Parts: sequence; structure tokens; C-alpha cells
Amino acid sequence: MSDMTERMVRRMLGERSLVRLAVLAIAVIILFSILSDNFFTVIDFQSMGFQIAEVGLLSLAVMLSMLTGGIDLSIVSVANIAALVTAELFKGTDAASATGGKALLMTAAFILVGLAAGTACGVLNGLLITRIRITPILATLGTLQLLNGLAIIWTGGKAVYGMPNAFLNIGTGYIARVPAPVIVLVIAAVAAAVFVNRTGIGLRLQLVGANPTAARYSGLNNARVLMMTYISSAFLSSIAGILIAARSASANADYGASYVLLAIVIVVLGGVNPLGGYGTVTGVVLAAFVLQLVHSGFSQIGYSDFLYSIAQGGILIGVMALNTLSTRWRLSSRLAILNRWRRAEAPTAQPPSALAPPLPPGASAQSKEAERKP
Amino acid sequence: MTALVPALRRLPIYRLRGSNNEGVLILSIIVLSVIVGIVAPSFWRLSTLLNISSSSLENLVFAMGVLMVIISGGIDVSFMAIGIFAGYGVIVLTNHTGFGASSAWTSFAIAAGLGLGLGTLNAAAIAGLRLPTLIVTLGTQGIIRGAMLAYVGSKVIPDYPPGLDKLSTNYLVTATQGASSTRLSVLVIPAILICAVMSVLLRYTTLGRGIYAIGGDAESARRAGFPVFGIQVFIYLFAGLLAGVAGMMHVTQVRLANPYELVGGELDVIAAVVLGGASIFGGKGSVSGTVLGVVLISLIKNSLILLGVPGTWQRATVGLLLLIGVSAQALTASARRRNLDAMPETPA
Repeated sequence: MSDMTERMVRRMLGERSLVRLAVLAIAVIILFSILSDNFFTVIDFQSMGFQIAEVGLLSLAVMLSMLTGGIDLSIVSVANIAALVTAELFKGTDAASATGGKALLMTAAFILVGLAAGTACGVLNGLLITRIRITPILATLGTLQLLNGLAIIWTGGKAVYGMPNAFLNIGTGYIARVPAPVIVLVIAAVAAAVFVNRTGIGLRLQLVGANPTAARYSGLNNARVLMMTYISSAFLSSIAGILIAARSASANADYGASYVLLAIVIVVLGGVNPLGGYGTVTGVVLAAFVLQLVHSGFSQIGYSDFLYSIAQGGILIGVMALNTLSTRWRLSSRLAILNRWRRAEAPTAQPPSALAPPLPPGASAQSKEAERKP
Repeated sequence: MTALVPALRRLPIYRLRGSNNEGVLILSIIVLSVIVGIVAPSFWRLSTLLNISSSSLENLVFAMGVLMVIISGGIDVSFMAIGIFAGYGVIVLTNHTGFGASSAWTSFAIAAGLGLGLGTLNAAAIAGLRLPTLIVTLGTQGIIRGAMLAYVGSKVIPDYPPGLDKLSTNYLVTATQGASSTRLSVLVIPAILICAVMSVLLRYTTLGRGIYAIGGDAESARRAGFPVFGIQVFIYLFAGLLAGVAGMMHVTQVRLANPYELVGGELDVIAAVVLGGASIFGGKGSVSGTVLGVVLISLIKNSLILLGVPGTWQRATVGLLLLIGVSAQALTASARRRNLDAMPETPA
């Protein structure tokens, strides 16, 4: 084992949430292997790859917004806008009948226009959040409805067809036996990881999420960081939209409403803190894989999508509850150790104020008063 | 411009604006009615009023629960799932067992009980474990809707038990216009009663003041002696109960129990509550504002149809209204923050 891989493995083992996810993935596989006789022969990892890509991209989009302590609920509407713009461009021109180099050129150009349209929706989110200062939940809830509504007005609620094979190959083709969407997801995930961990803006993004006030006082431009976050989130959603259109050979204003819940479940399961400041791309991708396994397992043993929806809700609340309880337990056990240690050090001394019972209301009001004065 | 606003604020007419923008909402409703009335004279009929009232009815009851949650600083997206679970569940239960088939009162009581029971899920996760409200209610929405479709049923049911069947055709007012007639269900009376109860609860009881206090700042409320845990449990249980009743009202009115309805329409109600002046940061909101918000949204949807705008425009319109409502709130909030900063410092 080379030095670098050893370091990477050690780092991953250090992340408790990643270890937990890996254990969970193995448990899910064992569980479904017992419940159904031929889980491994029937579960086709190739076919899983086609579905995991779009969900994974949407989850990465939610992850970026959650790192800053916000949330992006408009992901699916943005994805559908990108898909519809590209699909309508194909429909409006004679791209379906074009061949050779012309078809390739048109496909590339139309995808870029679709991505640009979706990303522009991210600019709208960013403006609402940074300029008008609407909380991200409500701003993106509003754009979710508005963009979805605009898409319905545009298409009359009907699906749009008529895309050339050059485009459909992106959603259904293979490169060296690997589904093309998986390659798109891997590239996007690596890019997102580099963006979050290796660039200045990514570091600032996590700092803003960890403590917005501290970030502002350290001279960070929170508005610019948030703007970049929601633009990147919309860009990732737009890629998901293009993949959806290419896989299903159609674009639809109402596609994938259930993906909002699924993406949030994946992000929370992946160990991202919904209050901001902490999360890893590896965790999110691994969580997307686990949930896709659960989905395949469910359909394998004949469970309906309704039961999958119950499982999603249960996983979401269960993971959140587990995180809260384990944090509380860890804090209280550490405090107990600290207390024991202090008592051993100075048996007669007064306990220091940080560990004392809550301050009387008057004292705290005074300290807040002092804080407010510059 | 900035100097003009405080001067304007001293004018007596400014007081008509109301503490929760009620004045602005009334003005919007009047202006909109006049414009639609001029373009489409058929607007000025009793049937329009009855139409708007019937379509507001169930949303009004849903909105009362959402109002309470938003005042306490949370957000709820599970109420429609609770509503349809309760409404549809009662029809299935009564058709299967025949229990309480003759009395609509029993049906509503069961629906309220189901809503209350489902509300405990939210209460346990939010008050008990102190998890973020949006994430919890997104989860419970998935659980409740999935459970209904998987275990209660997924078919549309046209047969109603006799008690509910009778109630569904019990009209308070009927307006006949040639061949067509518009009716207002007798259910409007309980809807108004629920609003009155909520108004008294929020305004005149310690519990109600506690809900505002938690929304203002939970920690301060706790130190002021409010039982934060108990109040939060009450909020989510009562919101569940109201959602159950509203869902039953919906199912009764449409006379066709469809389990795929309601979920997805959460934003109409949330937008109405936010437009009605309830602050998304908590601690602010009123029943009168919410009622006006619900009426305004219902009026706009109705007018779109009268003006010949295709039905496909409704969703975008509600989205735009929600964004306008929250933008107005956010802008006033930051203006107030600036004013506070500009105030001369008083010696301690």
C-alpha cells in the first residue's frame, strides 16, 4: 500500500459517518440477500448506475446549500427547466434528423444552453437570498413553485419529445461497460470535492455555514459566498436535468417531485450537518448508493414505491435523531470526565463558571447587553 | 425617499395598514375585485362570493394550524398528508366497519383523532428531540402519505356513509344562475368557529402568548418561565388535529375520496399565511391577516378563471405571490434593522 492510499484509508476510517455508512451498505446487502434468493444475480449494478446518477447529482446540489446552513428546495424545478430548454431547442430545430458532425455540434450547443438556463435560476435564488435576504427555505420554496409553474405554462403540462440519438446516448450509453451517467456523476463528484476542500471559496463556504457571524467578522463576504453556493447548486441540478431528459427521452415540467425528499434523505444520511459547516462528498455519494440499494431491494422483494417513501421518511428522522442523541451523549460523557478530572485536581475549589448550572437570567442579560455595544 | 417613510408613517391613514399588513391585503382584495369586475362583469354575482368562500373553507382550517406553527418559528409541510390520511381514512374505516356511519359528527371526531395521532409524530421529533422542523415534517409527509397509500388504500372511493353523504349536500346558501347553481356548504360555520377559537387562543390565553414567545426566542421564553416543551407538543398535536378536520371537510365537499389529492398543495396555504403577515422568523402573525391571505389567494385563482387565463398559470401565480410576500417581509425587517442601528445610543 502506497503512502498516499494509506493516508486516505486512515482518514476515511477516522470519519465515523463514513464507517457507519459502509457498515449500513453491507447490512442492506446481507438483509436483501436473505430476503430474496437471487439478490445479487438480479440486481444489475449497471442498471442501478443509470438511476443513481441523477439522484446523486441532486443530492450534491442540496449538500452545497446545506454546508452553508441553508437548503435548496428548488433543485427538481431547476433540473426540469434545464431539461425543457434543451428538449424544446431540439424540438424547435431539425436536430433529430441531423447527422454526423452537425448533430454532435447541435447537441453540445443545446446542452450548454440548457445548463446556462438552469444556472440562471440559481442566480435568481442567490439574489433572493443575498440581496432581499429571504431565508433560503422560503426563497427556494417560492422558486420551486414559480419555476415549476413557468414550466407548466410553457409546455401546457405536456411532455416534450424529439431528441436525437447523439443526445440520448448520454443517458443510456456505456463507456467501457460503465453507464455514461455514472461517469458524469463521478466527474461532478470529484469536481465538487475539489471545489469544497481545495479552493478558497469552498473553504469560505464551510466557514460561513459553521458560523456566519464569525465569518463576517473575519472579513468574509458572506453574500458572495452564498451567491456562488446557490449558482453551483443550480448548475449541478441542471446536469441532473440533462441526464434525466437523455435517459427518459423526454422532458416534463412535473418530473421527479419525490426527488426533493430523497435528496435530503441522502444528504442527511451522508453525514452532512443540516445546520451547516460540515459534510463530505464521499459520504453523500456513498449514501446515494445505499439508498439505491434499498430501492432495488424493495422492488426485488415486491415492495411498492409507497413503502419506499415510508422508508425514506423513517431513515431521515431516524438518522437525525441518532445524530442528536449521540452528540448529546458524547457531550455529557465528556463533561463528566472533565468534571471528575477537575474534582481530582482541586477537591475544595469552586466549580468554574463554564460547568456551573445555568446563569441567573439577570447575569446573562447583562452579558448580552455588553456584547451588543461595540 | 428614506426620510419620507417615517414622515408618512405618522399620517393617520398609515394606521389603517394594521399590525400585520391587514390594510394592504384589504386594499389588494378591493382593487383586484374592481379590476376583475370591470373586465368580466359576471364577477359581480353572488355565485362568485360563494365560490370563493367554498374554495377557501378547508384551506382556512389548514391555515390556522400552519399559522400556529409559523408563529412558533417553525414550518410545516406535512399537514396536507395528515389531512388526506384522516379524511380518506375515515371513509375507508366507516365503509369497512360501519362504525358511526349514520353520524357525520362521529366521522369528524375520528378524523380529528387521526390527525391528533399523526401530529404526535411531529411533536415527538420536534419537541422531544429538537430536530429542525422542515426536515422532520418532510420526513413525516413521506411516512404518512406512504402509509396511507400502502396500507389504507389507493383507490378513489365514490360511496360515502349516509351521515357524510347527507352533510355533503347540506347547503347554507344556494345561488341559481339559469341552469347552473353555486352552493355554499354548511361546513363554513365550523370553519369560522375554528378561526374564532384560534383568535381567542392566540390573543387572550397564556398558552397563546407562549406560542408567540417561543417564536420570538425559545431560550428567552424558557427563562421567562414558559414550558417550551409542553407548548411545542401542544402546537404540533393541535395542528395535526386541525389538519385532520380540514381533510375531512375537503373529502366531504368533493364527494369523491381520492387519496392522491391535497399533497402538493401545501404552498397555497403557506403562501396565504405568509402573505397574511405571519413572520417566517417567528413571533408574529394574526388570524385576521391569515383569513385575508387565504381569501386573497382564493380570489386570485378564481379571477384567473373568470379572466380566461388558462389554469396552467395558477401555480406560477401562487409562487410569485409567495415570493412577493416574503420579499416584503425581508425588506421591512432589514429596514427596521437599519433604523435600530441609526438610533442614538442611550446611556445605560
